[in-house]
Amino acid sequence: MNEKDDIEAGTLRVWALRLFVMTRKELLQLRRDIPLLLFLIYSFSLSVYISGAGISMQLSNASLLVHDGDHSASSRELIHRFREPYFRIDGEVQDPKVGVERLDQGTAMLLLDIPPRFQESIGGREPVSVQLQVDTTNAPQGLSAASYAARIVGGFSFDLASVRLGGASGDRMELPNIESAHRVWYNQNQDETWFQSISHILRMITLFAFLLPAAALVREKEHGTVEQLLVSPVTPLQIMLSKVLAMTLVILAATALAMVTVLKPVFGVPVKGSVALFFILTALYSFTIAGLGLFAATVTRNQAQVGMIALLVISPMLLLSGIATPFEAMPSWVQSIMALSPLRYYVDVTYGVLLKGVGLELLWDSVLAMALLGGVLFGLGMWRFRKHFE
Amino acid sequence: MNPRRIAAVARKEWKETVRDRLFLHMAFLLPALWMVVFGYGLVLDVEHVPFVVLDRDRSSLSRDYVYRFIESRYFDYRGIVDDERAIDRMLGDTAIRMAVVIPERFEERLLAGRTVTVQTLLDGTFPLHADTTKGYVIAVNRSFTQELLADFLARTRGLAPAEARRLAEPVSLETRYLYNEEVRSTWSMVPALIMFSLMVASPLLTALGVVREKESGSIYNIYSSTASKAEFLVGKLAPYFAISAINVVVLWAIAVWLFRVPFKGSITVFYAASLLFVLCSTGIGLVISLLVRTQMAALIITIIIAMVPTLLFSGFLVPVSSLSPDAQVQAHLFPAMYYTDVVRGSFLKGLGLESMWRDLLALAGFAVALRLVAYGLFTKRPKA
Repeated sequence: MNEKDDIEAGTLRVWALRLFVMTRKELLQLRRDIPLLLFLIYSFSLSVYISGAGISMQLSNASLLVHDGDHSASSRELIHRFREPYFRIDGEVQDPKVGVERLDQGTAMLLLDIPPRFQESIGGREPVSVQLQVDTTNAPQGLSAASYAARIVGGFSFDLASVRLGGASGDRMELPNIESAHRVWYNQNQDETWFQSISHILRMITLFAFLLPAAALVREKEHGTVEQLLVSPVTPLQIMLSKVLAMTLVILAATALAMVTVLKPVFGVPVKGSVALFFILTALYSFTIAGLGLFAATVTRNQAQVGMIALLVISPMLLLSGIATPFEAMPSWVQSIMALSPLRYYVDVTYGVLLKGVGLELLWDSVLAMALLGGVLFGLGMWRFRKHFE
Repeated sequence: MNPRRIAAVARKEWKETVRDRLFLHMAFLLPALWMVVFGYGLVLDVEHVPFVVLDRDRSSLSRDYVYRFIESRYFDYRGIVDDERAIDRMLGDTAIRMAVVIPERFEERLLAGRTVTVQTLLDGTFPLHADTTKGYVIAVNRSFTQELLADFLARTRGLAPAEARRLAEPVSLETRYLYNEEVRSTWSMVPALIMFSLMVASPLLTALGVVREKESGSIYNIYSSTASKAEFLVGKLAPYFAISAINVVVLWAIAVWLFRVPFKGSITVFYAASLLFVLCSTGIGLVISLLVRTQMAALIITIIIAMVPTLLFSGFLVPVSSLSPDAQVQAHLFPAMYYTDVVRGSFLKGLGLESMWRDLLALAGFAVALRLVAYGLFTKRPKA
């Protein structure tokens, strides 16, 4: 009995040793590719910083031109309410036509047109309107600017009404009014650097986790070294698993680099949940994406083909999984297709652990989905890979 | 430069490309497929924000108020909850993005002409969504307040409803949307997608075309041949340039016929800019291919360089004017931004050469500069 156990333990040790040797080989090969290594470091450090610090999708400093046909105290008061950080007044035009020309050239985004006799008319009985022209070549930004402008004019109008109705004493409490109080959770100051830097890391993890193992496997096919591996005592499982292990290690190290050099010291991203959980789930995600990459590598013959498959699969994932745009707003057919995208679950996991501080008790469904996808993809890849050698 | 030798290099490259069926199909299919998938699927507007309501008043007015959110296309109603703990859990689980908390005595106070405060709890992980959602909530509150105020005035001061409404809202804003009158995000998206599709596929084609030869060693045939550096570089790029030049036409046709985006500008300017841009994007692939030794490095670096700045710093998703100064510098160092200007200008604004010549000049500058760099980096006598 004991002897049999020993033999089993022995074979297991050999199996593990072979896996270890193969994994080490992958890491050595990667270490020799200096341009690639430098680029990997850049992608998880400086590049995270540039995206985090540089990108602001919220409306900021939208360039506003004013045509003031009245030049009265009221018109100045209204114009004065358009201010930073949302709007930047880029000067006054004498003629609305000049303003529209500036919008054409793209040197300004909005044109506010206050009619003549504005002050006189708001004292009267007729309703008055001011005009706003918005460049909507970028539709979401244009809408957002228009919504801020409506908020400002609405506030101006309400103040005017309450002063007028309440009389000079300003009895404003006598009018019904719904005030909006907002509490923003998980990121009270709406610091966009947190969101942008984390989503940049998600993009990078996805790209590297797909491309590194896929290219490593197809390279062996292209060079014919996979035949050499075949006649060696390693099994197809060890060949594939070693690539996944090596690249997952690289990605975990790179993620740690990004967190230590940029996320915490520069942007002050609070890590509310468990760091260990985050890294374990990142490893699971890398495994899942690597499974996808290896599957792609088994259906292609050279690295150019893998590149094309990567573009085909990865770009929809990056654009439609909810890191670039809100997932809820996507058409339902996109949402159903994206149920197959591991990134869609990893987004919830990452923000959940890092910013919301939740644990497995809420995230288990996303984790399960990722694990299932990973298992299926890896299994499919394994099956295709074995078929090559039979 | 000898045209015959250029043609020979180009012919060889073309044959290799055509022989790889999967690769060839993808080179033509991918850009068109992206246009269709992202044109229909990528929605940038913040809509269908899932929310729950905690109604502490449970009056008919509070139900009216909640109904304003339910019927709006910006919100997606997920029911009523009984306490704040449920809200905590649902926000943590990303089941909802917003919760509206209506205070006690909501109806009583409003009908008496007092102020009430409605609290909204927002998920701030995606600051842009939180901010946009805030704007929607304020708009709902504003319009509900205005109606209440008009009612209140009609009731307490005996005014006619129309007059009460005028008093409640003395100044209004009339907004005109230029260039994209119905503010369709497809219209702003699809032209930019032409840029994205051209930018991502063609550098990869070029980079791998060169590195493949370096890795397999067949580049030594070129080193020892009579073809000069310039002849090799021109011939090598010709097939990829041709593929992209055809793709421009296809993408344009998809934008105009499938998505019905109006094309108001000049076809000549647009096509000239597109060809210049293709020269830039293949140039980027060429420079990368000369800096690395392995296809793996070429593949990864090209995909990331082509994809990330193109998404983030080209004006595609984020307008260049709202980037930070550093990021704006990066945007200007990359040809995609100029081409996005030209595409949107040609499609939506109907601009011509007189207002876009600077962008074309910049693209031409990049095309030339990238080729000079490639010429400098390429050597027929490598050291190793």
